[in-house]
Amino acid sequence: MQVLFKIPGPLQEFTGKQSAVCVEVEAGANLLQVLQALFVEYPGLRDRVLTETGETRRHVNIFVGNENVRYTGGLATAVSAGAQVSIVPAITGG
Amino acid sequence: MIGRTLDHYRILAQIGEGGMGVVYRARDEVLNRDVALKLLGKGALEKVGPGHLLREAQTASSLSHPNICTIHQVGETGNDFYVVMELIEGRSLSDLITATGLSMETVTRYGTQIADALAHAHDRGIVHRDLKGSNVMVTPEGRVKVLDFGLATRLEREEISELTLSHSSLESKLVGTLPYMAPEVLRGQKGDYLSDVWSLGVLLYEAAAGKLPFRGNTGFEVTSAILRETPPPLPSTVPYGLAAVIQRCLMKERAGRYQRATEVRAALETVQGAVLQSRHPSEETRGPRTLVLRGMEHLSVKNGDVLLLVGTNKGAFFLRSSRDRSKWDVAGPYFHGQGIYAMAYDGRSGRHRLWVSANNVMWGAFLRSSDDFGRIWTNPLEASIRFPTESGASLRNIWQICLGREDEPEKLYCGVEPAALFESRDDGESWSLVRGLYDHPHRPRWMPGNGGLILHTILPDPSNKDRMYVAVSAGGVYRTEDAGGTWLARNNGVRVVFQPEKYPEFGQCVHKIALHELRPERLFLQNHWGLYRSDNRGDSWQDIAHGVPSDFGFAMLMHPHDADSVYIVPVESDEFRCTPEGHLRVYRTRNAGGSWEALSRGLPQKGAYETVLRDALSSDSLDPAGIYFGTRSGKIYGSKNEGKSWKKIVEGLPQILCVKAAVVHMDGAPSANATLKSRITKKRKSVRTKRLRRGKSD
Repeated sequence: MQVLFKIPGPLQEFTGKQSAVCVEVEAGANLLQVLQALFVEYPGLRDRVLTETGETRRHVNIFVGNENVRYTGGLATAVSAGAQVSIVPAITGG
Repeated sequence: MIGRTLDHYRILAQIGEGGMGVVYRARDEVLNRDVALKLLGKGALEKVGPGHLLREAQTASSLSHPNICTIHQVGETGNDFYVVMELIEGRSLSDLITATGLSMETVTRYGTQIADALAHAHDRGIVHRDLKGSNVMVTPEGRVKVLDFGLATRLEREEISELTLSHSSLESKLVGTLPYMAPEVLRGQKGDYLSDVWSLGVLLYEAAAGKLPFRGNTGFEVTSAILRETPPPLPSTVPYGLAAVIQRCLMKERAGRYQRATEVRAALETVQGAVLQSRHPSEETRGPRTLVLRGMEHLSVKNGDVLLLVGTNKGAFFLRSSRDRSKWDVAGPYFHGQGIYAMAYDGRSGRHRLWVSANNVMWGAFLRSSDDFGRIWTNPLEASIRFPTESGASLRNIWQICLGREDEPEKLYCGVEPAALFESRDDGESWSLVRGLYDHPHRPRWMPGNGGLILHTILPDPSNKDRMYVAVSAGGVYRTEDAGGTWLARNNGVRVVFQPEKYPEFGQCVHKIALHELRPERLFLQNHWGLYRSDNRGDSWQDIAHGVPSDFGFAMLMHPHDADSVYIVPVESDEFRCTPEGHLRVYRTRNAGGSWEALSRGLPQKGAYETVLRDALSSDSLDPAGIYFGTRSGKIYGSKNEGKSWKKIVEGLPQILCVKAAVVHMDGAPSANATLKSRITKKRKSVRTKRLRRGKSD
């Protein structure tokens, strides 16, 4: 199945300037598996989205459709075919 | 010409034509072999005279090297002047380079051979002066042969000026020559070894990218690009190491280039090794190089300039001044919006590398570097500093970048949060966690301070390769005597105020430690409450807070040349971390903590509630030394007379987290540090001599 990722501006340096990229994964993959497929394609994204221990960075939010995965099972969230996954910087500042 | 015979060479066919004349395939009737015979054009002869060309060709014929096309004979018959050369079957490099460039393995393989040819010729006093793709042949076996050493006609001043001002399309023989010309040659200087190094850089760039670095439709445009512009970034497929070699060949300032072709060869060989190991970590983790341009002017740095690297919570700024340190140019912010907690200037081994720890609150902390004073930055795909998975830790911030000792120019250290030490032995390409410290039984009991649990200070002992000190907040001072294998807590006598036991073995909230290379056994320490000195490598500490308004503070700096002088900026207290009573004062001891004096001339003494953080106090290496500090309110003050008087250099910056000063030494120029060291040594010797003399006369 195909999943469409929306890439935020600061990370487009690592996707060849593309704001949306498509990855092909096996049907039934969860978010972590979909992300892993994305990182194989665009290795610069991995360390900017996840920490060494594999957690989503504190100020990064990932949405499957319109749902923030923090409330839907984190990286284990199911992703359906044709879903849109958005990587979005959280509200922060200082 | 075909069918004619010159001396004993029978002309068989024309095989090429260039600015210098026409090249024929000819038969050597005596030795029964085919050769290349270049019949020099009348124009070339008229310009410099046949005598000159003859001499140059004769000199070049003395070169014997597998990558240099051998000149068999130079001669004239009647009006004809010709050069007989080895016949090379192959294709010119300019024909081989495709629009997307050659593979990196090929670029480095060819580049190494060309550099070797140049090195051989330069060693014998012969300069090429016209190195370009059409002058480099590649045989079917992949061997490079450089043609036409010493044969380049010198372009006269008027011709150069005509060429560089021309607004018409590039044409004629100079199409092939102009884009390879060094800036100084365009300014009318005679081509020399360094302009050959430049041309090699152009050739390497072209081979790697498939395009020339300096382009334009007219001579004027090309010239202008060569003189002023930075080449467009190389494709992301070009390994960082190769890009750095090319970049250094293409330094507009001659002093910034490799000074010898052998250095280029060595650098390319290193890169070649890395390229050939296809799974080399640097290959896997190399990311796009980023051109940081936000409408800002980058610094134009010259030999001997003083640099201030300023890290703020919203980006990095770079300041530059000439040695008089009276006027400063400011560039920035670089890494817009990111917290810059650590910076370093690495001038070891002829480098001019800026290191920056850039912490993006969203995307994490990454180590970035630039070899051209901030125009282009590395941007690794993978974080180069990362905790091993089994450690269960993840990097929060990089608090310190520390250069290895002068004689270990490939070594770097980083102190990070959560508190750990990382080491690189390959110029920062790859990093490893220093396990001896990370696995220390004390570590689980270290406690985070206000800034987190951080390793913020790293002091390699300049006199002993195996000894190093680190400071952890709040863990205390640790020393290794075996290059990081094992570590001892060295906090005896340092007081803590935040637990019942006042003098524990470890757990002190040390804010900064410092040592001087002339007395490496002696350490100074600014604690979270407390100022200390140790005369025995940290084995025990004594209180030296005599005559300071507060013994609370963060920053601490050794004078660069005087082992007894230390600077601090006390703040009022733990709760009120501002300069006492609104007086901004630096304090200095000149007797290793026996007494302290306030240095306030030129600093605001009313309503100045400032804070100088632990890494925001720095010195340059000049004499008298320049002392600089940055405040949390975004001001930088500097003193060019060791603190006697101060001036505000800039204000209005974001909160300043770190300030690092450095003096830039381009290749070939003696380092101020070295000059100063030799002066100090001489001074000492003369003192010793005087004493001896006095002793005698007494």
